[in-house]
Amino acid sequence: MISVSKLLCDLDAEGDGLRYDAADESTKRQIRDEKQRRPVVVWNVTKQCNLYCDHCYAAADTEIADGELSTAEGKALLDDLADYGAPVVLFSGGEPLVRQDLEELVAYANEVGVRPVLSTNGTLITEERAQSLKDAGLKYAGVSVDGLPERNDDFRGVDGAFEGAVQGIENCLDAGLKTGLRYTITERNAADLEGVVDLLTDVGVDRFCFYHLDYGGRGTEIVDADLTPEDRRQAVKRVCDMTREYHDRGEEIETLLVGNYADAAYLVEYAREHMSEAQAQRVYEYLRVNGGDPTGERVADVDYQGNVHLTQFWQGYSLGNVRDRSFGAIWEDESNPLLSALRNREEHLTGKCADCRYAEVCRGASRLRALTVEDDLFAPDPQCYLEETEIHGSPPFDTGENSVASGSSAD
Amino acid sequence: MEEFDHEVDAPRGATSREWEVFVREDTADPLTHVGSVSAPSTDIAREQASSLFARTAVTLWLCPADETQRYQTDDATLGTGNTGDDATMSVDEMESETLRGENR
Repeated sequence: MISVSKLLCDLDAEGDGLRYDAADESTKRQIRDEKQRRPVVVWNVTKQCNLYCDHCYAAADTEIADGELSTAEGKALLDDLADYGAPVVLFSGGEPLVRQDLEELVAYANEVGVRPVLSTNGTLITEERAQSLKDAGLKYAGVSVDGLPERNDDFRGVDGAFEGAVQGIENCLDAGLKTGLRYTITERNAADLEGVVDLLTDVGVDRFCFYHLDYGGRGTEIVDADLTPEDRRQAVKRVCDMTREYHDRGEEIETLLVGNYADAAYLVEYAREHMSEAQAQRVYEYLRVNGGDPTGERVADVDYQGNVHLTQFWQGYSLGNVRDRSFGAIWEDESNPLLSALRNREEHLTGKCADCRYAEVCRGASRLRALTVEDDLFAPDPQCYLEETEIHGSPPFDTGENSVASGSSAD
Repeated sequence: MEEFDHEVDAPRGATSREWEVFVREDTADPLTHVGSVSAPSTDIAREQASSLFARTAVTLWLCPADETQRYQTDDATLGTGNTGDDATMSVDEMESETLRGENR
C-alpha cells in the first residue's frame, strides 16, 4: 500500500510505522512490528459470498465450499500467526460475514495480539453485527464499492448492492468502527472515482483505498476491462490531485494506492512536477523504506482451506497448507526456489525493469500480472505506465545517512 | 514414539483440482515438495508448475492432492474440530440477511 495522503500531504496514520518505518514521526498510536519483517496476513475465512463480483480474486460463489477451516482450526491458525509475529490479520472472503463465528475469531485475534481488520462487501453489516464486531475488538472495516450505484451493482451482480454497502458503512460508523472504502479501478468505473469519494465523505468515511486490478481469480476474465497505461496514469494523477484538494480545504482524508508499485515511481515524479524537488526526495525516501512490491514478503494469504499463498490475488499457487505445517514454517522455508527467487527478484527482473532507476521503490510491481500476460515470472508488469524518460538513468536521489527515514531531514 | 494417528483429509483446491508439486534442482538432490497448483487437468498443472519452477528444476513431479493420503502426529495437527459448515450461514439464511436482498 502506498499512502498518497502521507506522502503528498503529510497526513499521520496508524499504518505509517508498518509502511515507512515512520512511527517516530507520527502522533498516532502505531501499528508496528520490527519494520514489518512479518507479513500482514489476509485470511479468506470462507469462499461463500452473497454477491458475485466480476473481478473477485477469490472466485467466490454463493454456494458453501468444502474444507473451510473450523472455528478451532481458525483459532489455532491465529495462535500460529501470533507466535510468528504477524502484526495484522485481514479477515476476508468470499464474504466473511457469512461466517457466524466471525466475531469469535475477531475477538480471539485481538486476544492473542494480532490486529483484526476486515474486508467486506458491507451488505451483511446490520446494526447488530456492526456493534458485535466492534465489541469483539475489530479495528477497521474496509468496504468494497466499485462505482456509483449503477456501475457498482453491475460489477457486483446484485441490484441494490451499492445501497446495501452504504447502509453497512453507516452502521459501522454508528457503532464507532473505523471504516474505509476499497475501490478497484478499471475502465468500467474510473469515471466514478471522485463521485464515490464525494458521496462517501458526506457519509463520514475518511479512508479510501484504490486498488489496481490484479489478474487472479475472476480478475483474469476481465483483463480487457483493465485501464490502458495512459488512463491508469491519469487515474492515479486524479487520486493525487483529489487528495491534495481535499487537504487544501481542510478535509484530511486518507488515500492509498494498492497493487501496482509503478505508483511509487509516479508519486516521486508527481511531487517533482507539482510540488518541489525537496518533496520529491522526501517521497522517494519514504518509498525506499517501504520497499516496493510486497508479494511473498510483507503480505501473505491463507485461503479458506488453509492453503498459503504469496498474495491474496495469487491463489492458483500455494506454498503449503497450515493443516500440514505452521504458517511460520511455510513462510520461512526458502528451500522453495520460487519463494527465494521472489525475495531476491532484483537479480532476476528482465526487460525495462532490469535497469529501471525506480527499481528500488517498485521491484517490478506485480509478478502475477507478468506471469499471466507474458508467461514469464520476471518480465515487466504489463500495467507499468512509466514513460521511457522516467525509467532510464541513475537512481533519482542519493540514499543514505541523510534520508528522511533516518529522521534527519524530515522537513 | 508417536504414531501418525491424525489423518489430514479435508478437501483442497479452491477453484479446480489441486496438484502437489515436487522438484529436484540437481539430479543428486532429494525430491522436494514446493507447494501445489490449481489446475483442471494434468497438462495444465504441468504448464503452471513449469512456469513457476522450470527456471531451476531438472525434475518435476505432480501428484493429485485428492489422491494423497496424509497422516501426522497429534502434535503436528492444526486445532481440532469439524470443518466449518456449522459455522457458516446457509444460502437461504445468507440471502435473507443481505440488505436489500429482495432485489436479487
